[in-house]
Amino acid sequence: MFQKLKHIYETKYKLLMIIPLLLLVLSLVQLGIQYKTTGDFVNKGISLKGGSTITITKDLHFSAAELEKSLQQQFPADDITVRTLSSAGRITGLAIDSGLQDGSKIDVLTNALSERFALQKADYSVEVVGSSLGNNFFKQMLIALVFSFLLMGIMVILYFRVFITSLMVILAAFCDMVITLAVFNLTGMKLHPAGIAAFLMLIGYSVDGEVVISSRLIKRNDGTELQRIYGALRTGWTMTQTTLVAVIVALIFVQSEIVKQIMLILLIGLLVDTIVTWIQNVGILRWHLEKKHKKHFGK
Amino acid sequence: MNNKIKKMAANWRVLLLVAFLLLSVLAIKPQVFGTEGVEIQSLQASSPLAEAGLVIPAKVQPIARERILSVDGIPTPTVDDYYSAVSQLRTNRTVRLITTEQTYTFLTPESVDGKIDLGIKAREASTSNIRMGLDLEGGTRVLLQPAGQISKEDLETTVDSLNERLNVYGLHDIVVRSASDLEGNDFILIEIAGVTEDEIQELLAKQGKFEAKIGNETVFLGGEKDITYVCRSADCSGIDPYAGCQSYEGGYHCRFAFQISLSPEAAQHHAETTRNLKTVSEAGSCYLSEDLALYLDDVEVDRLRVGCELKGSATTDIQISGSGAGITQADAVNDALQNMKKLQTVLLTGSLPVKLDIVKIDTISPSLGKEFLHNVMLVGVLALVAVSGVVLYRYRKVVVILPMVLVMLSELVLILGFAALAKWNLDLASIAGLIVVVGTGMNHFIVITDETLRKEAQDLDWKSRIKNALFIIMGAYVINLGSLIPLFWAGAGLLKGFALTTIVGMSVGVLIARPAYAAIVKILLEE
Repeated sequence: MFQKLKHIYETKYKLLMIIPLLLLVLSLVQLGIQYKTTGDFVNKGISLKGGSTITITKDLHFSAAELEKSLQQQFPADDITVRTLSSAGRITGLAIDSGLQDGSKIDVLTNALSERFALQKADYSVEVVGSSLGNNFFKQMLIALVFSFLLMGIMVILYFRVFITSLMVILAAFCDMVITLAVFNLTGMKLHPAGIAAFLMLIGYSVDGEVVISSRLIKRNDGTELQRIYGALRTGWTMTQTTLVAVIVALIFVQSEIVKQIMLILLIGLLVDTIVTWIQNVGILRWHLEKKHKKHFGK
Repeated sequence: MNNKIKKMAANWRVLLLVAFLLLSVLAIKPQVFGTEGVEIQSLQASSPLAEAGLVIPAKVQPIARERILSVDGIPTPTVDDYYSAVSQLRTNRTVRLITTEQTYTFLTPESVDGKIDLGIKAREASTSNIRMGLDLEGGTRVLLQPAGQISKEDLETTVDSLNERLNVYGLHDIVVRSASDLEGNDFILIEIAGVTEDEIQELLAKQGKFEAKIGNETVFLGGEKDITYVCRSADCSGIDPYAGCQSYEGGYHCRFAFQISLSPEAAQHHAETTRNLKTVSEAGSCYLSEDLALYLDDVEVDRLRVGCELKGSATTDIQISGSGAGITQADAVNDALQNMKKLQTVLLTGSLPVKLDIVKIDTISPSLGKEFLHNVMLVGVLALVAVSGVVLYRYRKVVVILPMVLVMLSELVLILGFAALAKWNLDLASIAGLIVVVGTGMNHFIVITDETLRKEAQDLDWKSRIKNALFIIMGAYVINLGSLIPLFWAGAGLLKGFALTTIVGMSVGVLIARPAYAAIVKILLEE
């Protein structure tokens, strides 16, 4: 079975490239549907949309769903949702998101909560974001991303002096982000600004792998082409594994919801990147080398 | 083996790493044996110790901050000891407070609600020069946006006056800086550790425009141009001894008063405005027909009668007064002093050139911050163990893993050393940055190890193997740099901490630590 897969991987690499392509198309479809139904490409959290989050770090022994229901009845106009916070499988508290931005209105909500659960000031924290920052923030992140891609592309051309690698790196980063974003949307989570940082962190991790493959395949000539590919993939897989275990450990044990979201995005991204690297990047480079060969030998 | 250690000790890449490590440790100055006394977190301007000469300098490394060693002969090794020593003080006694800098002698103030308040917030002494940001220490972060267009100079003036205003609290770690986003919108970011949202909101939300008017004529404005001196010491500011406190409609009402000095121009203006006013006689005293009305943000805060002797005189010394109220007398005194401080601040720092809107406020409670820090450290250690496990499984050589882990830890020390030196506050975004640096660092150690150990490279000499490895690492570095730079401006600088930590960390790693690792691996594995 393994031998058969290996044989397909080695000989039918062009055909295999349909897989990441299909993933990309499906993801774009998902983003399109998301946009059509919600008006946004992503489920924006409070920090991006405007509103406030009250984080209670005390186990209230109260279900999030029940609290949400009763708060929605008490404050019907304020778009309240309640999340459970947990770490290592243990419930550590609750987060209450609402569309409230006005200090005095938030006080009404915190007072209601304080009375109900006998909370001290040290038991909770409040984060408020105005909607003007919310709208701009997201738009700017997108602009920053476009610049990131452009600068990255220029750096790759300067470094490798081969156009195809530049295309490969940008395409890979683009696929990583789009597919990861689509998968993230499917989880139903709401995006926090730090989550955007996670998408950018993804660039950092994927670039490492791409540079390894490009260097080994384009700049070296030791061993056969396949030997070099497997060598590069072995290195890349070790890199992915170490990051994966670190991310999984953090996902299980970290308490901060924000760090947890960063880790979840990295986890999805790393898995997506593995597919993109093994099939798409290797495919593009092999295609490029094959063409170069043909030109060289006039075949 | 001895030979190899000697070789390592002579390798310049290893020496460079060691030298930078030493510098970092010097910058961080970890206090392994603990520090004596408690640190002064904040000092109120009205504190008797402020009058005795205690000041909190703005930017001092945490280790060098002034610490209280004893109060009235009672040593204060912990925060609880400090507060219990203060609680034993009695009103109107001369007390000696010994700090790491000097001995202060002062008279204890009146007690409020049976407690004496020295106007000092104490906290545990810092154990290193690493500054914990808000997410780790607790406090308030505010993002302000000027309403309407504002010039660069006005923005800087606003930042300066906000800085001065907040310094009234006598806090250590105040960050006030201007920030702009990609669309050219200006913001002001303020971070204050250990202050609640309510306390700063009041000072910030108001434009703080002070005007003193007689009739419809503005006589003088707040700020240095018109007001050259504002008295804040006990001999010429405080509860007005002539008016004092009175019970009033079931509560109390207290008057405060303090002296200010006007500039000659403002005094001249005052003379011209009052010259043509009529005089009236009330209860045996002579007053001018118009009052001096004080406006804060266009709201009248007080109205003072002006004595006839001031008619047409270019006097530069003026007494400003106002009042406060409360249910108990102590509440009223407190309220009056609070109002006085607010007015003094506005008079001192002048009005802000623009109105500021609060676009974002985060409050993090100190206990949450501490918990977060402990949790992050725990997760860091667990992740390190897990990652070491994976690498050990892959290479099965302790000789590779050990230097890998050590160099990785030294990368962390280098970044923290840089953070201490550059006086950064480590926040959540910086921690995300640290995660990227450690993660890509690990990737690069693997690249170096694979490039030197892989089968295909065995007929290459060591020099070209290392060269191959460093080629990959440098490539990944410059490409990543390209992707990080745009982040500096995105989102009003809220992600600057992330971008900065990542860039510094990667640079330190690629230029110092990772080459040293390559050299160590070469020496250890070379036959």
